[in-house]
Amino acid sequence: MRAAVIRLFAVLLCLAAASSALAHTGSVSGGFASGLSHPLFGLDHAVAMLAVGLWGAFLGAPAIFILPVVFPLVMALGGVLGIFGVPLPGVEIGIAVSAAILGMMVALAARPPLWVAAAIVGAFAICHGHAHGAELPPGADAVAYSAGFVIATGALHLCGIAFGLLARWPAGLIAVRTAGGGIAIAGLMFLGRLL
Amino acid sequence: MTALSAGLLHPLVVPAHVLAIAALALLIGQQGWGRGVPVAYGVAVLIGLGAIALAYVPKFTEETLLAFAAIIGLLVALARPLPQGPGVLLAAAIGLSLALDSPPEALALMQANLTLLGTALGAVLLLLALLQGTARLRHHWQRIGARILGSWVAAIAILVLALRLVG
Repeated sequence: MRAAVIRLFAVLLCLAAASSALAHTGSVSGGFASGLSHPLFGLDHAVAMLAVGLWGAFLGAPAIFILPVVFPLVMALGGVLGIFGVPLPGVEIGIAVSAAILGMMVALAARPPLWVAAAIVGAFAICHGHAHGAELPPGADAVAYSAGFVIATGALHLCGIAFGLLARWPAGLIAVRTAGGGIAIAGLMFLGRLL
Repeated sequence: MTALSAGLLHPLVVPAHVLAIAALALLIGQQGWGRGVPVAYGVAVLIGLGAIALAYVPKFTEETLLAFAAIIGLLVALARPLPQGPGVLLAAAIGLSLALDSPPEALALMQANLTLLGTALGAVLLLLALLQGTARLRHHWQRIGARILGSWVAAIAILVLALRLVG
């Protein structure tokens, strides 16, 4: 029975792929690709997301999974503020500062209590979400676009976590802290451009 | 493409539908609920499609579906044990709103009915197929992965709902 259901699902997937090639490429896949590329090609967003993952891995359980769960939810709230046009002064500065602070936390091997780490990450998630939300395109592919950028953001966290797990070994710890320092410097450079 | 295959593919090619069904599959797998929950979903899909066949045209169906997807995503992210009763209600709500959001484009009665039949099959098969995966998420890291996916689903649904309210 299970094998039959899986086979049927495989057939449906193949048919879906054919269908999207015929009719849905422009709206759904275009929106998804656009959303997916948004955090990846915005360097200020990308390095901050990597830093969230790095810091989570550095702090260990439960931060390693709480931060990637909390961030998208708080980011969505920031996104809602952006979509509704609620002004948030200094969003771009907040994004640059997020890279600098989060990078510094990793570089300095800071281990604050979990609630402090979650509050810091959550505050910056509002800035990132607001910036994304203000740029979300209205229209039929909004779900695909949102899915793309949430998945890209999560994937960057997971990349950061994967690299951050190297901190279990002495040489890896140096590499992770160096990466944190690099992110902090990048954040300061972004900040310098804005000021 | 025939009317039946167009209906079969409908739940697979509409992102909001995929999102809602995936969220429900994650929650059922995480909670380890019995067959009553998927059955409630299937019955609700049939009731919703029956209402469409009787020319009922509801409004704001995608928004309703996304709202339930957001709730289910949050429940997956929280990962608190829940009794099966609310699960049956949530599954029925997802099934009903998904079906009501699937009106066929065909004008001919026979074609429209075939599309509705295909939609019912596609919606139920997609959930059953996803349940084959989510019911096996037993390792600690797999459960963490499910919670992360739940938070992604909730975030996507919340953002799109906000866009719909503004637009």
